[in-house]
Amino acid sequence: MRQSLLALLAKEPAHGYELKQALETIFGSAYPSPNIGQIYVTLGRLEKDGFVRSVDVEQANRPNKKVYYITATGREALETWVEEPTEGPRVRDEFFMKLVLAPMTGLSDRMALMNRQRRHYLALMRDLRELADQTDPANRVALLLIEGAMLHLQADLDWLERCQEDLP
Amino acid sequence: MTRVAELRWVRADLRARRGQAALTVLAVAGIVTALIVAATLLEDGTNPWRGLFARSNSAHIWIHSKDVPDVSALRGLNGVTDVAGPYRSAPATLVTRGRRVPITLQETPAALPAVARPLLREGRWLDVRTPNAVVLERSFARAFGLRPGSPFSVTGLNGATHELTVAGLAESGDQGFYPEWTPGLAWTLARTLDVVEPAQGRTETVTGLRLADAAATDLVVQRAVFTLRNQVQRVTTWREVRASMELDNRLLGLLLALFGGAGLVAAALALANAAGGRVLMQLRDIATLKSLGFTRGQVVRMLVVEHGTLGLLGIAAGAVAARLITAYAMGETVVVPLSAGPLTAIIAGTSLTVLAAVLIPAWRGGRTPPIPAAPAAPPRGHLSRLARVALLVRLPPALVLGARDAFTRRTPAALTVCGVAIPMMMITIGLGCWATLDDFVRHPERVGQAAALSLRPAELTAEEARQRAMADPDVVAAYPGAELDALVPWQTRTVRTRALGLSSDPYPFPVVEGRMFAERGEAVAGQGLLDLLGARIGDRVRVTIGGTPLIVRIVGRAIEPEQDGEVLSFGVDSLATKDALPPQFYALVLRPGADPGQVRARLQGQGLDVAQAVNPADRLAVIRVVIVALVAVLALIGLASLLTASALGLRDHVLDLAVLKAMGLTPRQVMATLVTATGLPAAVGVVLGAAAGASCSRWLIDLEGRGSGVGAGIGQAPTPGMLAATIVSAIGAALLVALIPARRAARARLPVTAR
Amino acid sequence: MTDTPVVRAVNLVKIYQTGALPVPAVRGADLTVDAGEFVAIMGPSGSGKSTLIHMLGGLDTRTSGEIWLDGRRADTLSESGWAVLRREKIGFVFQFFNLVASMTVADNVELPALLGGAPPRQARERREYLLGELGLADRADASPAQLSGGEQQRVALARALANQPRLLLADEPTGNLDSRNTRDVLRLLGKVHTQGQTIVLVTHDARVASMADRVVSLLDGQIVDDGAIPKSRRRPAGGVGDVVELRS
Repeated sequence: MRQSLLALLAKEPAHGYELKQALETIFGSAYPSPNIGQIYVTLGRLEKDGFVRSVDVEQANRPNKKVYYITATGREALETWVEEPTEGPRVRDEFFMKLVLAPMTGLSDRMALMNRQRRHYLALMRDLRELADQTDPANRVALLLIEGAMLHLQADLDWLERCQEDLP
Repeated sequence: MTRVAELRWVRADLRARRGQAALTVLAVAGIVTALIVAATLLEDGTNPWRGLFARSNSAHIWIHSKDVPDVSALRGLNGVTDVAGPYRSAPATLVTRGRRVPITLQETPAALPAVARPLLREGRWLDVRTPNAVVLERSFARAFGLRPGSPFSVTGLNGATHELTVAGLAESGDQGFYPEWTPGLAWTLARTLDVVEPAQGRTETVTGLRLADAAATDLVVQRAVFTLRNQVQRVTTWREVRASMELDNRLLGLLLALFGGAGLVAAALALANAAGGRVLMQLRDIATLKSLGFTRGQVVRMLVVEHGTLGLLGIAAGAVAARLITAYAMGETVVVPLSAGPLTAIIAGTSLTVLAAVLIPAWRGGRTPPIPAAPAAPPRGHLSRLARVALLVRLPPALVLGARDAFTRRTPAALTVCGVAIPMMMITIGLGCWATLDDFVRHPERVGQAAALSLRPAELTAEEARQRAMADPDVVAAYPGAELDALVPWQTRTVRTRALGLSSDPYPFPVVEGRMFAERGEAVAGQGLLDLLGARIGDRVRVTIGGTPLIVRIVGRAIEPEQDGEVLSFGVDSLATKDALPPQFYALVLRPGADPGQVRARLQGQGLDVAQAVNPADRLAVIRVVIVALVAVLALIGLASLLTASALGLRDHVLDLAVLKAMGLTPRQVMATLVTATGLPAAVGVVLGAAAGASCSRWLIDLEGRGSGVGAGIGQAPTPGMLAATIVSAIGAALLVALIPARRAARARLPVTAR
Repeated sequence: MTDTPVVRAVNLVKIYQTGALPVPAVRGADLTVDAGEFVAIMGPSGSGKSTLIHMLGGLDTRTSGEIWLDGRRADTLSESGWAVLRREKIGFVFQFFNLVASMTVADNVELPALLGGAPPRQARERREYLLGELGLADRADASPAQLSGGEQQRVALARALANQPRLLLADEPTGNLDSRNTRDVLRLLGKVHTQGQTIVLVTHDARVASMADRVVSLLDGQIVDDGAIPKSRRRPAGGVGDVVELRS
């Protein structure tokens, strides 16, 4: 979340609630709705690290609000984040552990495990599909995010198939 | 209702390939046209009666009576539509070059009559201003070398001679050809007839009846005879006239049958190829249709309907085209369209062939499993052996690729090879027939016509005539001869025996089996005679000539184009003296290169009676027309097969093409690849077909010869030059045909993905 | 819904005879599909999925076992018997669309109705309705080659539905489509399914399979799993998803 907030602040100074709204608009329902408290906690940490500064702005009839803006150090940190390559997904799948280890314990047979997992994946896929259907078609970012998730899920299913073929 | 679905598909498919469909129709139409025209020519050529009868609007029945019959009674007979005459007719004798020939003079009006109208061929018709003129029946005039303007001296029964002149020559459907039909006929005006035969009692009256239905002839004859009571002296009918005009046309008929068969095979092939190729291209669609719920029967039915319709359409178009051609383009030579029998046979035969040819691919289509496979990819064959050889000899890569593609798909490759080879084989056989005919003309001695002329002594003594003939510088030899009819044992019919030359100095018969006769009592025979008697070389046969038995041993077989080969030939000395002396005629062998016509004219000028032999090739001239037409049609069929093949090949290569281009082949190389892929099987087909044709044409023609009685030994293979020219032009045409789609494909931008 | 299942396969076996070697493709499959059900068949390539669905549609013959369609024994039918059954009760969709190349879109869609014996007018009306539903009304006179893959597959679907079949069989219907076209086809499948269409489809695509009520897994020609896709425990409430968390 740190980098997302920094990126938003690099665009323009904003207060915490504005940041929460911006995140929701951009990523849509595909992204877990950020908790406002969490945002303030993160902003506090960023300020402590010297990446952002805040100024109090007075408001009529309401308490002062804190507007955050990015510092030179913050901009530098953001640049580093953007420039460094992002790690690919790590295959240290929990299910795979189950699949390999469970039969040894005699707790479950592999076939049942795999079948159950497949159905679960399909259920997840159905959720994603329904989610995609409910998403505003104009929201490309959100839809792409959902599609990414679907492709990962497809890959998991294909992998499952491979496991089923090759694990005795 | 499900028919609607079938028809919808057939319609859509035809619409999707209009050009190909049109080509199929054209090919079939061409074959049917060629067949019908050839048969019409044959019918007309071998039996001119139909044409003459129709053109001269002849009478079906001629009644010869003593007096003028009751014409109105005859006209009133049921079935009689018109009456010719009655005309007076008188017997007389023609005196020409010292010979006396019986003739019939028949009265005829100066204006050509509507019924039984003689057809003027040369000269003028009779005219009241030139009463001393006659018009002669043409075959009779020919036999005596009479032409318009020739003097014509006639002796009446009273012995008086009248000098008349030949005004013209005419043909008629009322009188057979001379000498089969005697006496010869001369038309004169009534006045001339009165002069020659003034006595009414010595003339008879002829009256012609034209009938509505030729089949009613016998009935009308009966009624006419009954109506006229005792007046009728004799009656002739069109049947007798027709019989006298019929030529021995067995060889011609057999040759035509051969070509007809070839044409049918070619038509079947064209259709099977087109339909087969189409089915092969549509296997996926057919599978889809079956997955939709089309049954096997429905698929077969659809394919048969589609391709069969094209074939039947072609047949109909061909029949119409043939009718038009014979009516307009050949209006001069052919008058009567083909009679119903052969026409029905041709149409029914081609229809059956078409259906049979279509049934096979249709059945194949029906057997397609209903699972539509992935877009058909050509089988990834290994380099064929041929391609490997091509690589070894370092041919350009485009050729190697093409050679590889040419035979990866076995079935289409085989289809292409056959589709080209069979028409090519037929063409070669046609050329063989052509060469055989040429050989007849160039070397008449090989068909028993070493002597171009035959000399009849007439009023001279035989020896005198011979000496006069031999005096001519162009006459090399004169063989004494006699032609006599002989009865053969257990046969009610006679065969021709020909005594020619001496046993010690035989006439050069073309003996192809056994040996020439060398002494008295030996003979050579035509194939027809051997077949008739069931005899073999070495057998003794006994025939009876004029009551005298003659036993000869057959020592050889000669080529015998006359009398369907039913001729026995031996030396004059084998005959009984009464038959042998004096010889009936001399066969004159001319110096090579001498023009028989000129020699004949010279000898005729010396008062000799000389006839010129008719070369069998002249009688078979119609075959040449048939050969040309057939070659054209066969070429068309070959092209159709090639187009199918190249379309199929292209479909297989659409995917490859993109890859080849990606690999860096230039459009020219791509084109070369495609042309090689189609052209190679075509070239193989051409060469195979030519080889097969060349090797079997001789055998086949000999077979024909044997069947027709002429005997084996006449067949000639096409000349090497002719064959080479044909092969080169066929391969050239094939490459050209392959080039057009290849060019288009090579230029086109092709997607890399399927569909 | 009736009690008789639309499809019932009992101990279905298919053995291909290639040369001297018998190759089993399906080894004793038992499958029942009730009316209105949507069943997805999954499995690695070569597991016999296509063979199974081809046998259910009579496109391929079974070596042994029974097939009951709509309460009628079908495996004993002749080839043409199957053809008649297909035109009345089964719609088929293939991976490569398989529109009849020489016919227009309209003709392709009308063909099954005409084959089923419908009068041409009725066939045309049905075609107009279907193409309208699929948003292809303006492409009626186009030839299949002029259509994109997605459009072709939609036409193929319209054709399969032309006779309102009891059973819709599909073999990798999206196997050759990009994701946008896949979505269009899926939406259509979902739509006809909600209208009560019984569907059995073979697929590799999890998105397609997730549409189904039930998933059947094949492995080496045997059914190793057959069961409903469970309701997700984590129902996304009110459209607020947590995709990122799903993947975390």
